[in-house]
Amino acid sequence: MASAGSRGKRRVIPGFGISLGFTIVYLGLIVLIPLAGLVLRSAGLGWSELYRIATDLRTVNAIWLSVWTAFIAATINVPFGVLVAWVMVRYRFPGRRILDAAVDLPFALPTAVAGIALTALYAPNGWVGAYLEEWGIKAAYTPLGIVIALTFIGLPFVVRTVQPLMEDIDKEVEEAAATLGAGRFQTVRRVILPAILPAVITGFALAFARAIGEYGSVVFIAGNIPYVSEIAPLLIIIRLEEYNYAGATTVATLMLLISFTLLIVINAIQAMTRRRYGSG
Amino acid sequence: MASLFSRAPIGQRSAVNEGALTRIALVLTAVVFLALFLIMPLVLVFVEAFRQGAGAYLEALKEPDALSAMRLTVTVAIIAVPLNVVFGLAASWAIAKFEFRGKNLLISLIDLPFSISPVISGLVWVLLFGSHSVLSPWLQAHDIQILFALPGLVLATMFVTFPFVARELIPLMQEQGTTDEEASLSLGASGLQTFWHVTLPNVRWALVYGVLLCTARAIGEFGAVSVVSGHIRGKTNTLPLHVEILYNEYSFVGAFAVASVLALLALVTLGIKAVLEWRYGNQLASGHRH
Amino acid sequence: MRISIRNVTKQFDRFPALGGVSLEIGSGELVALLGPSGSGKTTLLRSIAGLEHPSSGQILFDGEDVSNLSVGQRRIGFAFQSYALFRHMTVLSNVSFGLKVRPRKTRPSRAEIRARALELLDLVQLGGLEGRFPSQLSGGQRQRVALARALAIEPRVLLLDEPFGALDAKVRKELRRWLRQLHDRLGLTTIFVTHDQEEALELADRVVVMNKGEIEQAGTPVEVYDDPATAFVSEFLGTVNTFQTTLNDGIAEVLGTEFPVADADPGEGPQRRHGPAIAYVRTHEIELLSRERAEGIPAIVRAVFPFGGAIRVELAVEGYDMPIQVEVPRAFFEAGEVQVNSGLFIRATNARVFPQYN
Repeated sequence: MASAGSRGKRRVIPGFGISLGFTIVYLGLIVLIPLAGLVLRSAGLGWSELYRIATDLRTVNAIWLSVWTAFIAATINVPFGVLVAWVMVRYRFPGRRILDAAVDLPFALPTAVAGIALTALYAPNGWVGAYLEEWGIKAAYTPLGIVIALTFIGLPFVVRTVQPLMEDIDKEVEEAAATLGAGRFQTVRRVILPAILPAVITGFALAFARAIGEYGSVVFIAGNIPYVSEIAPLLIIIRLEEYNYAGATTVATLMLLISFTLLIVINAIQAMTRRRYGSG
Repeated sequence: MASLFSRAPIGQRSAVNEGALTRIALVLTAVVFLALFLIMPLVLVFVEAFRQGAGAYLEALKEPDALSAMRLTVTVAIIAVPLNVVFGLAASWAIAKFEFRGKNLLISLIDLPFSISPVISGLVWVLLFGSHSVLSPWLQAHDIQILFALPGLVLATMFVTFPFVARELIPLMQEQGTTDEEASLSLGASGLQTFWHVTLPNVRWALVYGVLLCTARAIGEFGAVSVVSGHIRGKTNTLPLHVEILYNEYSFVGAFAVASVLALLALVTLGIKAVLEWRYGNQLASGHRH
Repeated sequence: MRISIRNVTKQFDRFPALGGVSLEIGSGELVALLGPSGSGKTTLLRSIAGLEHPSSGQILFDGEDVSNLSVGQRRIGFAFQSYALFRHMTVLSNVSFGLKVRPRKTRPSRAEIRARALELLDLVQLGGLEGRFPSQLSGGQRQRVALARALAIEPRVLLLDEPFGALDAKVRKELRRWLRQLHDRLGLTTIFVTHDQEEALELADRVVVMNKGEIEQAGTPVEVYDDPATAFVSEFLGTVNTFQTTLNDGIAEVLGTEFPVADADPGEGPQRRHGPAIAYVRTHEIELLSRERAEGIPAIVRAVFPFGGAIRVELAVEGYDMPIQVEVPRAFFEAGEVQVNSGLFIRATNARVFPQYN
């Protein structure tokens, strides 16, 4: 029965070897090897050099700026994203389909186009910027401008993560809450919000992760003043233009670390949700 | 007014209704927010593009550098998208139709480019092929130009758009399982016949959807190509890069005119996407069903 | 075609799905594989089809070992539980698929393929629906398309996985009768999987009862129903009352009457004759006796369900935790003997006693 084991493992559907082989080779060539190259480069710098560049004030400022503006943008997107998702799922009103489709605009619109449009809009002489100017608020060319651009970019992440879950909420669960004497507000707070909470957190994390690495929509509106409104991805490009590969590599590695941490957090949330509710 | 802002038809039951006023307030807030935040920038692109009239607009588009940027953008997309389609089909076939160890890791790795900054997606190619790299002497000796040329643009675009097709196909194929393929094989069809006549038709709309998103991103990608392009006017500038150059030169009408072409493409993308979701929603991955 | 299954085992990642199954199926037989979910019945069916490769053992078609043939080479007709109709193809295209994908040498002409497919659609009584798509058909119609599609390749055996599982009760009964007629007409060896005992008993020539990857018993419907070989089969078929009892030199007492222990399972070694045992008594194997004749055991009527020809009665008997279920003829009920809370006497007329291990 020596051959028995291998016979049992034989697959009925053909093409496993070739499809998996192609997948792995292509993944390796296009994604893994280039990424490994980046990691190797930064490892080649040595700890002390890595530490020196990572703690360089300009690097620290750029990364911190990218992180906190992304965090605020993702936070703003949570209430607005949930509101938009709610309105799209629960109500019918003229133009709903078009607005629903428009939610994906930040996905579809090239970031450079979004960047110059937002800049023109929020510049001191722009349609919105002029109003803000009257209140003494400067949006374009300040960190506030960065937050605006990142909010624009992140909105669909929250809406599109929350929306399917909201559609899945069983009407009878809400009715059950109502029959048990819960008021509408209580039902929303105690029944609906907990049900969509994992999606909200996932959407937040996705918007946050995307915003940290965002470049195109931000560079135009940011002003790009070192130490003040210079985001991390821009710093990478500046270092590259200075032929400072060590600097570019270090900033990139730090950003990768942040992205992967977020990725792990997102996966953990989704795994937890699946375990608890049976679906993600 | 209240009937204009009605509840979704599924639940016309008062026990789970908000009051009409709350409803109207919520809808209006969402609409105003979306209009100010999403629609206004879009409108602005077209207003700025036509600020000096249709003549100036067309002039800006007919400019040789703009035309060559368009050609380059299309070329990059034509190379990158089909390669990612082949990859997406292979990956989804392997992942959805078979059980093997490390599958979840593979899925996570495929999604990896989504969580990486576009600038880094360009940087990795500079590190691999740039003048400081290990490969550089060999490339120079053989006179192969990758960076600041078409191959670099294509590679950076492929990296960024890598997951789009695969991630539309994988969940759908997983959901569809293997019975259709088993039925086909039991009727005597070969593996290729099964793939061509049974599997592919089952996922065709998801494939179209993935190709659409992949193409849109390939055309619009900015950060990654910005790093590898070298910004040579008329040579290595794609449309989004051309927008940047014009804008930085204060040629606003030109910048917004080119941007309006990209915005129009984005609108077409959204339109097709909405139609696919509406018409073929049940044949897409579950996240896109409305 | 004859099918021989010889000592087939199937090991999935963590658990064994089949543990050494052997079975002979005669040409033209209609066989049911019956068992609860996880009993291995579907794995066995899929192994015969070639959709699953056994870890060890052999499967022979007419004496020829097909273990190494792929599903496409075995020429089997397989009907899937979900029907697996190709949703983007019309009914006609579905049915002709198996002929269209043949290599050019053996492929019939277009006209022939079309004619055959239409003929098969007539056979399954779906003539005129060839232009429909699967989504435009009812569940019963889809099942018949799936059958026609499987028959189109002129299979040597027809394998059906839960053929009526997804249908409502009325359609299920109609299709069952129809499948029996079809089988009698075509004379094709047919194996179907079901978890529905009524379906297996009414439809099959022979019923193979499976549990935990093993065959518990294979026999005609009457054999397995009247003469269950194992405790599992006794409990699985029909509605039974279960009694804990004790064996004393091969004899156990059930509701005041003594019954001998069941015949030993061949191959299990000598049956134990002493110690704890379990007895199975079908609902119609308990007699209700009128009060005057003080035989049997006193019982109190707890509930009566007076529907149909046989009336179901629930009784409480001292010393038994579970209510005892009994079926009595309607006439007995109409005589007025059975009323809720009235007392009467009961006696078992038959019981199957199995020693209890572990």
